Amino acid sequence: MAQTVLFIIIAAIILISGILAVTTKHIMRAATYLIFVLFGTAGLYFLMGYTFLGSVQVMVYAGGVVVLYIFALMLTGQHDNDEKVPAATIKKAAALIASLGGAALMLFIFISHKFATTVLTAPSEQLTSVKTLGTQLVASDKYGFLLPFEAVSILLLACIIGGLVIARKR
Amino acid sequence: MFDFTTVSTWFHSLLTGVMPEWLAIGIECLIVLLFIIILYATLAIILIYAERKICAFFQCRIGPNRVGKWGVLQVFADVLKMLTKEIIKMRQSDRLLHDMAPYFVLVASFLTFSCIPWNKGLEILDFNVGAFFFISVSGIGVIGILLAGWASHSKYPMIGAMRSGAQLISYELSIGMTMLVVILLNGSMQLSEIVQQQADYGWNIVRGHVPAVLAFLIYLVAGNAECNRGPFDLPEAESELTAGYHTEYSGMHFGFFYLAEYLNLFICGAMAATIFLGGWAPFYIQGADGFNSVMAAIPGFVWFFAKAFFVVFLLMWIRWTFPRLRIDQLLTLEWKYLMPLSMINIVLMALVVCFGLTIN
Amino acid sequence: MEKRNYFSGVGHALKSLTIGLKTSIKVFFEHDETEQYPENRKTLHFSDRNRFCLEMIHNERNEHHCVACGLCQMACPNGSIHVYSEMVETPDGKKKRQLVKYEYNLGQCMFCNLCVRACPHDAIRFNQDFENAVFDKSKLIMQLNHPGSHLEEKPKPAPAPRPAAPAQPAAQSAAAPAKPAVAPAKPVAQATEAKADAAQPKAASTASPAQAVKPAAETPSVKPASEAASPASEDINKES
Repeated sequence: MAQTVLFIIIAAIILISGILAVTTKHIMRAATYLIFVLFGTAGLYFLMGYTFLGSVQVMVYAGGVVVLYIFALMLTGQHDNDEKVPAATIKKAAALIASLGGAALMLFIFISHKFATTVLTAPSEQLTSVKTLGTQLVASDKYGFLLPFEAVSILLLACIIGGLVIARKR
Repeated sequence: MFDFTTVSTWFHSLLTGVMPEWLAIGIECLIVLLFIIILYATLAIILIYAERKICAFFQCRIGPNRVGKWGVLQVFADVLKMLTKEIIKMRQSDRLLHDMAPYFVLVASFLTFSCIPWNKGLEILDFNVGAFFFISVSGIGVIGILLAGWASHSKYPMIGAMRSGAQLISYELSIGMTMLVVILLNGSMQLSEIVQQQADYGWNIVRGHVPAVLAFLIYLVAGNAECNRGPFDLPEAESELTAGYHTEYSGMHFGFFYLAEYLNLFICGAMAATIFLGGWAPFYIQGADGFNSVMAAIPGFVWFFAKAFFVVFLLMWIRWTFPRLRIDQLLTLEWKYLMPLSMINIVLMALVVCFGLTIN
Repeated sequence: MEKRNYFSGVGHALKSLTIGLKTSIKVFFEHDETEQYPENRKTLHFSDRNRFCLEMIHNERNEHHCVACGLCQMACPNGSIHVYSEMVETPDGKKKRQLVKYEYNLGQCMFCNLCVRACPHDAIRFNQDFENAVFDKSKLIMQLNHPGSHLEEKPKPAPAPRPAAPAQPAAQSAAAPAKPAVAPAKPVAQATEAKADAAQPKAASTASPAQAVKPAAETPSVKPASEAASPASEDINKES
């Protein structure tokens, strides 16, 4: 009962902020609404008992990515006075195709997995404890995540080196 | 040591005896909320008073001494003044974001505040990822500061917010890494578990010796920077930016920033006390049983507050001693000195734990 | 500043930071320097060189040294001093100038001390009364000679001009060495003053002529100096 009520509240927050984020004319406000969407998502994770995932969501997205967005927006100047340019036909068509495709995908998942009938229950904290996650992350057995983990580290290393190369003094 | 869970379970059973469980939980939530808010306000008042007095003593002054005995009512007078002041509206500013920004800072502060274990069994938010949650929600404050700087539509707040963003993001790394050192030592992210271990095996700063002391020192430096306090107070450097990111705020909106700033100071001290100085765990000496029983008779929250305020005093001592850094010096300190040091420190602590070199 | 390598830089930084912390904690436990003003009125101490308000020196018999020569009035760059005098006949038949009212406007004074230096008889000095704030500008205009006071009678019937240096009070001697160029000129000024004292017509012209002929009967209507000065300090008391 309580879970459902909370879910509805969080879902409403996510939906409303999501709609506001794409309809607002000020880019900074859009970024702020995006924060609420991400917080809502984190709230869903907490609701489901995935506290680690929720914390990661807050830290990486709200604390990291959006701060980066805001920083970038602040550094690139004022956008409020931009002239509204009518979108080209090809852009409109692309947007339509993308939204239709996304909607179809969502619909397919909804229908095939019967979300509406599944009761939401919080799993125990032990199931999703940090210890389990940590062990799984560096486990090399069949369901371990060592390979993706290392692949991501190489990617990040490449990013750091790339950044250094671009930013180095000549 | 007195376990607070006996009180909470007794209260819960008392409530569920007369009403359905959802109502009981609702009432308990309200009580906890009230508790947090009252404690928050009280601590803010104590801290502002303490800061003004301690700052005065460091400068050979007396500090507030006119309103009430020793000026104790000064802060109340200031709060009243702040509450009755008008919240100004500016023409060019983004009203929505401008009004929203203080709440981001405040919410971040409240969430981190709720993570602190006050006593044995007296925690409000106690996840198995407590320490991680603490770090992640403390990052929300940056958004508030950046939005405040942007929405004010003024140069000073903008520069202040940019500095603050750079500073907070950088020093969050050091905070996270010093916390990792403690997590390594205790093998748990749950803050109540970390404190329990310290009650059983001795305080982390003793148990982890060299790496723990190093981590504590790094934490003090990075904590001061995270609180936007001197010598790292360049986001609000009054001599150059008037008040930094909250220049354009008035009334209680400014009050929220002010409140959050002081509470962040306390939270910083409280977290240092929790992860390094044993939280509510009393001071034990191996073998001295009489002494230990006396120490154990002192309630846990007294220990906790004593330690937290000790660290707060250390932070104030640092603040009122050193001159402000330049932004490049600030970033150099973090990225060239503290970061490598804390990385080495993690490896050191891993070795200490791995080879069982801990004391006890 | 010399260039240090990374590690010795860290060591040096730690050392200097420790010195800073040590210094500040020492100060923390030191005695506070703050003067708590309204409470410490009794013990409040100012340096002798502080100049707050001009006063005329009166002895216990309510006598002063002022001969109403008007040199202070001439010396004052702001025109904040007005000496009102009258001519009286002494019992032995001599005509003599006598002080009626010494008016001093604190609001115009810039505390330059030129009047004190100009005075040949050390009749005036700057005192240490610092609570001079008032709500009414007219209260700043004070009468410095006390009501009923008169010139101190010297044992010698005709007071000869004294040499300047030994007669200087302590407050003035502190300032005197700072202005060596003025000091030698002083005896000359005093000599001329003494001459002026004898030849009265010239001196009368220096002390505003219109006032000089006013009758002595007006003196009681002039506000007593003590009354003019005391409300000022009372106002401060009320405020605090």
